[in-house]
Amino acid sequence: MNENVLDYLAQAVVEGNVEKAKELTRVALEANIDPLDILNKGLSKGLDSVSGKFSKLELFLTDLMLSADVVQASVHILRPRMTSDKVEHVKLGRIVIGTVSGDIHDIGKSLVSTMLSAAGLEVHDLGVDVPAKTFAKAAEEREADIIALSSLMTTTRPYQKEVIRFLQDCGKRFKYFVVVGGGATTSDWAREIGADGYGKFAEDGVQVSKELMSRRISPPLDSPIIIE
Amino acid sequence: MIEGVIEISVDAFLEILDRAHKGAPCEAKDWDRKIIPSKVSEKLKEHGLKGTCRPECPINTDDSLADEFFKAGFDLAVETGMLCLDTERVIKFTEEEIRKTIDRAPSELALGQGPDRRVIRARKPEDSTKPIAVSPLSIVVSEELWVPLVQGIMETKEVDVIEGPSFETICGRPIMAGTPYETLSGMLAARFHKEAARRAGRPNMGFLAVGASPTIFGQFGGYGVVGGYDPKNTVALVLSPCEMKTSYASLHKVAHAINCGGIVYGGSWSMIGGFPGPPEGAALAGIACALLQWAVHLASWGTCNPMDIRYMGNCGPEAQWALSVFCQSLSRNTHLLVCAIPNSVAGPCTDMLLRETAAATINIATSGASSADGPRSAGGRYTNYLTPLECKFMAEVLHGSAGIKRDHANEVVRKLIHEYEGELRHPPKGKSFPECYNTKTLEPSREWLDTYLRVRRELKDLGIPLDDL
Repeated sequence: MNENVLDYLAQAVVEGNVEKAKELTRVALEANIDPLDILNKGLSKGLDSVSGKFSKLELFLTDLMLSADVVQASVHILRPRMTSDKVEHVKLGRIVIGTVSGDIHDIGKSLVSTMLSAAGLEVHDLGVDVPAKTFAKAAEEREADIIALSSLMTTTRPYQKEVIRFLQDCGKRFKYFVVVGGGATTSDWAREIGADGYGKFAEDGVQVSKELMSRRISPPLDSPIIIE
Repeated sequence: MIEGVIEISVDAFLEILDRAHKGAPCEAKDWDRKIIPSKVSEKLKEHGLKGTCRPECPINTDDSLADEFFKAGFDLAVETGMLCLDTERVIKFTEEEIRKTIDRAPSELALGQGPDRRVIRARKPEDSTKPIAVSPLSIVVSEELWVPLVQGIMETKEVDVIEGPSFETICGRPIMAGTPYETLSGMLAARFHKEAARRAGRPNMGFLAVGASPTIFGQFGGYGVVGGYDPKNTVALVLSPCEMKTSYASLHKVAHAINCGGIVYGGSWSMIGGFPGPPEGAALAGIACALLQWAVHLASWGTCNPMDIRYMGNCGPEAQWALSVFCQSLSRNTHLLVCAIPNSVAGPCTDMLLRETAAATINIATSGASSADGPRSAGGRYTNYLTPLECKFMAEVLHGSAGIKRDHANEVVRKLIHEYEGELRHPPKGKSFPECYNTKTLEPSREWLDTYLRVRRELKDLGIPLDDL
């Protein structure tokens, strides 16, 4: 029975069915299934399936967004039922994300934002053409762990560096990990500007963020985590 | 005024601006998440186009399918319109207005003068008229290598019109979008282009500019100003965000082109896997968005290329199929001057870059596009990963493929895709310009030249009629 509930929950993630997922999450909790198992064997299993279908063009960006909504809704129910050490264990991080100043390209950033959200991270999407000051302010207000910066164009890429410099000048660089990505960015660029992480593809951004959150050290890193 | 075109009407543009301010309100988030996916899906269903993508047949050979896509794309353009991001209002047109837009669009235009004069013509699938080769895309190049690299491209007689590249810096300072650095870079690009053209002995080439103008400032700085790009010889490049959106930055560029007596190239993208969904959805949204480039940006030449979000290129089988449907539907049903882009992901000095370029270019030529613009060496991701040789190769294949039958082209493209398909997500980076070229003599390295000759020979063996060297 327990196995079935988790399978149904995984299926709800694939279908993007928020109400069904909320109900199944409650059913699973009432059946005394460990919240971590609900997360790992239900929600994550569903996400793996979504990811596989996306890579085969059986699901698309809109479907990913719905699945992300499902995961967020379930995690919201699970969180209060976890013991404090388990909450710490599953803390995946709080992220503010946006496309930097001068750049109005949305789709790559939206894909990363969705995948981060689907992976259970708390994501605050600031949109496009976001100035350094706005990133810093939002990170402070949201008590973010990570600031994620997207840039599609080489002429907007320097604004990623600008955000890092702004954080340094305000004495806040030590508060946030900074992850960069987008069409104009490379691993060399991430190293050059002193970012903490770089991912070539959207799913790499999720892996980088999880890796950053799993390290029990403060930003900035001596060398960035690179996945490409 | 550029030969063959009609001056853009200020009244027509004012009408567009009025609609951008008075159209139905719609938030960008709703546009992306609700309007585009639902309308695209509705039109695919209505016209029986769901599940028609055949990756094993990367160049569509079914004319009736291309025509049905056109009808669906036309309906989508009329029913959806284009969202203006700054006003969050939808610019819409009646069926009659879109038809008139298509009717009054030029079917040819001439760029350049004297021996460098080139005529861009409307074509049909399998047309023997040679399409026009535009190179390079706005790939980033260091200031010190910019002029010699562009000179090398211009010395390639097969390259017809020049667009990029972009600068990494201006006098050592990073160019930041929306700042006066960008304004200055617009003029610097024009001056460097002229110097490269002078050195190459082709001073009268036509241009598509300003390549690196993410906001309006690069365009203001370089287009139509004293010492900058001459609107008589340069089409104003107006790129807009996907899907089916415009912005004040794009509309400013149109306004500036009007003020300078110039004409517009309107371009955007349509994402496979993105909001339009499957390859069929991206092809459909691309067709609608292309029609709206002419309607909203008053373009005389343009595109809205399908791209695959999974590897940010279009040389895989699904994207090639979508690209072929996009080109064929527009070329069979209109006389619009449609451009298409080989969005390669591998870098210079690799077989893969040449094979990707060949596949996309053969497709573009046989599917009836008027021009190809590219290739996108190394996905445009790395500084100085661009050389004249792949631009020459694209132009040779483009010209050589004019008149080839789609059945034959399909065989060739299928074989080419088979060679690199597994590497699309992790392509070889290849070598930079200084690593595979003598930047003084502008000669390719032995390795790069041999690679070029080998892949070129492969194509000839496959029946692509390339000129003897």
